[in-house]
Amino acid sequence: MHRRKFLQLAAATAATAPLAAACSANSSSSGSSGGNGPVQLSVSVWSMATTPEFKALFDAFEKANPNITIKPVDILAADYSTKVKVMLSGGDSTDIITMKNTTDYGQFASRGQLHDISSLAATSTAASLQGLSAFKQNGNAYYALPYRQDFWVLFYNKKIFDAAGKPYPTNLTWDQYAQLAESLTSGSGSSKVYGTYHHTWRSVVQAISAAQTGGNLIGGHYEFFTNQYNTALAIQAAGATLDFGTASTQQTSYQSMLETGKAAMLPMGTWLAGTLLADKAAGKTNIDWSIAPMPQVAGASGITTFGSPTAFAVNKRSRNVDAAEKFISFATGPQGAKIVAGIGIVPALLNDDTRKIYFGLTGMPADSGFKKAFAPDKVNLEMPVSPQSSQIDTILTQEHSIVMTKQKSVSAGIAEMDSRVQNEVE
Amino acid sequence: MTDLIAASAEKAPPATARPRPRRRGPGWRNTLIGWSFILPNLIGFVALTLVPVVAAFALSFASWDGFNPPKWVGLKNFRRLFKDDATMTALRNTVYYACGHVPLTMLAALGLALLLNRKMRGMAFFRAVAFFPYITSMVAVAIVWNMLFNPQYGPVDQFLHWFGVANGPGWTTTTGWAMPAVIVTSVWRDMGYYMILFLAGLQAIPPELYEAAQVDGASAWQRFRAVTLPGLRPTTFLVLILLTVQSFKVFDLIFVMTGGGPGTATLVLSQQIYQTGIVDGEYGYASAISVLLFLLVLVLTLTQFWFNRRRER
Repeated sequence: MHRRKFLQLAAATAATAPLAAACSANSSSSGSSGGNGPVQLSVSVWSMATTPEFKALFDAFEKANPNITIKPVDILAADYSTKVKVMLSGGDSTDIITMKNTTDYGQFASRGQLHDISSLAATSTAASLQGLSAFKQNGNAYYALPYRQDFWVLFYNKKIFDAAGKPYPTNLTWDQYAQLAESLTSGSGSSKVYGTYHHTWRSVVQAISAAQTGGNLIGGHYEFFTNQYNTALAIQAAGATLDFGTASTQQTSYQSMLETGKAAMLPMGTWLAGTLLADKAAGKTNIDWSIAPMPQVAGASGITTFGSPTAFAVNKRSRNVDAAEKFISFATGPQGAKIVAGIGIVPALLNDDTRKIYFGLTGMPADSGFKKAFAPDKVNLEMPVSPQSSQIDTILTQEHSIVMTKQKSVSAGIAEMDSRVQNEVE
Repeated sequence: MTDLIAASAEKAPPATARPRPRRRGPGWRNTLIGWSFILPNLIGFVALTLVPVVAAFALSFASWDGFNPPKWVGLKNFRRLFKDDATMTALRNTVYYACGHVPLTMLAALGLALLLNRKMRGMAFFRAVAFFPYITSMVAVAIVWNMLFNPQYGPVDQFLHWFGVANGPGWTTTTGWAMPAVIVTSVWRDMGYYMILFLAGLQAIPPELYEAAQVDGASAWQRFRAVTLPGLRPTTFLVLILLTVQSFKVFDLIFVMTGGGPGTATLVLSQQIYQTGIVDGEYGYASAISVLLFLLVLVLTLTQFWFNRRRER
């Protein structure tokens, strides 16, 4: 061939080759077909390095099922929600999608992006899964099964309480909590220690308020937030917690506020216990911590808090549905629950066995108050499951920041929430 | 293209003893070579830009959740757009941001360019310093400026305190001052880039014009008005167009710095598109907002072109 022609042809091929390679790479990364041959299950997870439960579950499952290998799709925790939505919309065929929160689950289930796994939910062990009811969709269909159930408690730093000569909190009302927070605040400037730390999530005020007053978070009428907002704003005004504006612009980490001793108390979800255990074992902190129940409304007859289950679901476009269902029954069943409890995460299957494992972990506080805090009387769902939950969540988050930075009064803010949710949500 | 047509026309006559003209071969081949070089980029453009843009136009008349087939809804999305408080707020904020960002950046960039348009030792260093913010990581810029703007511990308010401003503005923690804070940050970030454009424009002005003006006794300010500004008109026009388009499309700096907050104080159209489309899963509605943004930028750009053409006559 004429040399120049050859070079031209080579150039044209080289120019289009990457495009062809990209196209073929896409199709070759899909999983193998089902059957008795080796199966590769892909599972979407978040921040695998700092979420040890995933690796523990995968390793144990692979050991029990040698012909199935698990390929985790690791996504940064903060981007997880958005990334999964885009993946599913793009026709991704990742077999198992971990449901990080129920709001996203509501969206996926209502659009038909998840496989129906009602058969798994009908077993006897599944019936005792905490938080299972959140995943029921029209009638009796389940599209995800929870393996983990977190609820909110009050973490506290024993050393700060000892130094101030205060008894450890057991069963506080909101007023007592506010006073305690104020009395524990000390110092100023860089050495300031706050009595408590309220993270910037709207659930810190809104979800506990809904749980303890019975209010409906997707109803469009939010008068019931009033008392809780007043309490939160009063604590902020007294300087007993880091102000919302600073916390949000500096993207403060609640974990470091507690671990570095900058806050004496911290209302947070039980997942933090697993993180504290791991950090203490790694020597990153030497905090002496324990848990008390969330503060209650005065005159309440029992402990009411809110929580959220984390679940596994099967992608409608998955090609390994059988293997995926096998993994889900493993992870949500007694074996998976024991593994999860062994990491310091609260499994959805919370029975005597798993409780014993959980409480027996090295580094877990052994005081009786801790064990009692682990048996709240009522755990309300953090956000009801509905197709509008995502939009309502956006509106409530925006208005929450306006009220907490005192741009609007509590009543004006709540009125705005009402009108926006009623008018804007489709 | 014409070569191809000519080539195919010439193929029609029967092969006679007449020798084939030499011109035809290389011409046809040249076109093929040309196409093979453009093709990858063109394929990328068509597949990743043109097709999605056309699809967005089509989707704006439909309702789509990203998974199930789209449903035709006609003008419903556009009607909803004008009734939606959040989208209208986003529109207002975007215009507010553009009105602040465009003139301030132009002034700052022009000022810097005038200052740095000398032949002095170390000038390259100063120009690099001015350009540096533009290549810095967006997230780093957002976080550091948030710290600077902190009403209690930040240097900006402490600086204002020296000048007797007792209660400095709350900046990104208040709805009133969040947008000015974002504008200040983005002006700081972009002025270096446009300074480079203005520098190029300044250096294209023939120095003889300045000498002639000086001989005629013009003061520095008169020289600026009579020689520099007119000489810079093409550059100014370019900077204005680029800035306007960039301001209306802004997303990343605001998203990282305030997330659209507090409330919806700094929510801009791009973020609203992202919010309704990707987060809430309403791709049809988000496409409608994108069409609105597109039309807005198109109208503004055409207006600027029209004005410029008028001036040049």
